[in-house]
Amino acid sequence: MADIVFESVERSFKQGGKEFLAVGGINLTVKDKEFVAIVGPSGCGKTTCMRMVAGLEMPSKGRVLVGGKEVKGPGPDRAVVFQQFALFPWKTVQENIEFGLKSLSMSSEEKKQKTARLISLMGLEGYERAYPHQLSGGMQQRVAIARAYVLEPEVLLMDEPFGALDAQTRVVMQEELVRLARKNPKTVLFITHAVEEAVYLADRVIVMSRRPGLIRDVIEIKPIREREGWDQYSRIEDVMDLSSFVQLRSQIWKLLREQNLGVDH
Amino acid sequence: MFAWFGLTEWTGIISGARFPSPTETWNSFKIIAMQGYGNGRLYQHILQSVVLVTSGFLVSSSLGILLGILMGANKKIEAFVNPIFLTLRPIPPLAWIPLAIVWLGLGNSAKIMVIYVAAFVPAVINTFTGVRSIEVPQKEAAAMLGISRFAYYREVLIPGALPLIFTGLRLSLQASWTTLVAAELVGATLGLGSILNQAAQDINPAMILVGMMSVAISGWLMTQLLAKAERYAMPWRV
Amino acid sequence: MSKLDRLNQGEYILWTGLGLASFIGFWYLSVGLGLVPKQFLPAPHDVVLRFIHLMNEPFSGYTLLAHITSSFQRFLYGFILAVVIGIPLGLLMALSKYANQLITPFFESIRFVAPIAWVPFAALWFGTGIGGPVLVIFMGAFPPVLINTYRGAIHVDKKYLEAAKMLGAGKLRLMTEVLFPAAIPSIIAGLRISAGLGWQSLVGAELIVASSGVGYMMVKGQASIQTDIVMSGMIAIGLIGLFIDILLRQAEKLAVHYKET
Repeated sequence: MADIVFESVERSFKQGGKEFLAVGGINLTVKDKEFVAIVGPSGCGKTTCMRMVAGLEMPSKGRVLVGGKEVKGPGPDRAVVFQQFALFPWKTVQENIEFGLKSLSMSSEEKKQKTARLISLMGLEGYERAYPHQLSGGMQQRVAIARAYVLEPEVLLMDEPFGALDAQTRVVMQEELVRLARKNPKTVLFITHAVEEAVYLADRVIVMSRRPGLIRDVIEIKPIREREGWDQYSRIEDVMDLSSFVQLRSQIWKLLREQNLGVDH
Repeated sequence: MFAWFGLTEWTGIISGARFPSPTETWNSFKIIAMQGYGNGRLYQHILQSVVLVTSGFLVSSSLGILLGILMGANKKIEAFVNPIFLTLRPIPPLAWIPLAIVWLGLGNSAKIMVIYVAAFVPAVINTFTGVRSIEVPQKEAAAMLGISRFAYYREVLIPGALPLIFTGLRLSLQASWTTLVAAELVGATLGLGSILNQAAQDINPAMILVGMMSVAISGWLMTQLLAKAERYAMPWRV
Repeated sequence: MSKLDRLNQGEYILWTGLGLASFIGFWYLSVGLGLVPKQFLPAPHDVVLRFIHLMNEPFSGYTLLAHITSSFQRFLYGFILAVVIGIPLGLLMALSKYANQLITPFFESIRFVAPIAWVPFAALWFGTGIGGPVLVIFMGAFPPVLINTYRGAIHVDKKYLEAAKMLGAGKLRLMTEVLFPAAIPSIIAGLRISAGLGWQSLVGAELIVASSGVGYMMVKGQASIQTDIVMSGMIAIGLIGLFIDILLRQAEKLAVHYKET
């Protein structure tokens, strides 16, 4: 059971002698195998929330629980896909993907199998011995996703993973991710500021307010998606034409607009 | 510091014959400061070493800077000087000591010669690099403004190269200092290196330590002085 | 203005040749004019001849080759010791604040002592055994290795450390598989400086406490006023120093091959 629970979580920073609140009180539950996207204006703390689940940052108040246990630090059970890939430039594609497996106990046979499976799953065949700098942005992100996926984590955390990619590659990756997610569902926390991406991918979309980050609204996507049968369309532009999609998108945009009225940072 | 006291004085794990304890060192320090050791009192030794280093360093690095500027500004000069430089550069300054002794005997002049060699090379190289590092746009701007050659040197070339010139000076100073201590170790009657030499022969570890610390502190002080000069010369640098 | 002039290949070679010729010519001139007794300034060809001679004929107990081997051996011991201790220590200090706080005071107090100044202690503790020069070389070679390793590791982008921790790497793997590879450029730069300093320290040490080696040979040559021997020694030292640096530069190129585009 891998659910994520935020219990009255706050996070404050000290900067230049002053303390400021990045994340206000957050109470949120992500159910097991649920795909939740968090959208919000820049600096609203959505990445901070993800990092607290990852164990890369600690809440100043409150607790973050995964599977009932409090998060104390990073680990392969909560795999992260970073926006800037964070692949090790001195390791090949294969070595990058294998890296996390070394800390799990399984025979080297098994490790090879799992790695090979993921390489073919992410379309990286032939590139096993390549170094990251030789790959395009899209390929690199595929490696990053493979590296996270191969761990078979309970929780997958993705921090604007497609932000650094060009528009076409982005679309391809989104379609791939949807395929993966439907076939092999995991608990996912997906951070993005692209509303369309969130609506397309997620079961639920959380809208956060400006700093100090608070949950402004929660939009249910899944019931509508299933009712309207989005999954029958393999191409993202077909889904984005549907009125149900457009309506949800507008709804969320309106909420974000309200945030952006006021003083710009 | 704790470890030092602990290991030597209190528990006697390391005997005084191998490494001096703090009190022994302090006693030796008093001796050399008040009564003198190896032909002079501490301040005399320091003075001797510092004077040699400073004079050698100043003269040699100035010449080095001059050459570096000429080489940087004029490619013909660079090509001309290069082969001599490349052959002599890999030879560490310390390796010149025997030659210096052959040519100039065991007195101060040999030491100064070696300091010259030691201080010269880093000054030249870094000045040269510094001059070359001035970006082309600045050179072109100067050419466009049609200023005289002298003004060019004064207003553009030298200030632009100063950061690296000072890096070179720092290295020169370090090299001068190291080389002098080594030269004095080999054969000198006065100077910080000679303290070390004498103390080694007398098997006086405490005095050795006093000598080493004096070397370190003097060297550090001179480096600080240079840093002050650097800040004064380049007020536009943070 | 001459600052903007460019020299073409031909002119450059011309002036280089002129420089070389002038240097050698000047040397020969000084010898020929008899300004200085032959003993003090041998002709260039004399030096070269002596150099070749010494390769086979022993002086002060060993041939030049044997002296060189002996010197190089000492250097290698000291240098490798510095590397083997310096790199892991530097990585550890970058990773763990405790290690950093523990070691820095020791290091800072020792760092400013010129390696040469350790010769008396080296003589005291090791006599003329191999330990003496090795200690001095170590004292010279160690600081750059430690400092550059530490600095290189500290500046590693945090995202690599975060990714590695997320992937379950413990401290050891963080050091060996993340910090070390990421810091290699800085480490190798440190190694080059370190080798230079180490080699210099070796020469210094051998001038004072040694019974073999190139430095020792030079001292003996100086004592018997055989300048050609002294100069041969200088040439040997220069050549080997150059050799070491070239080796390390190649190592540097190899180490960052993964960055090549």
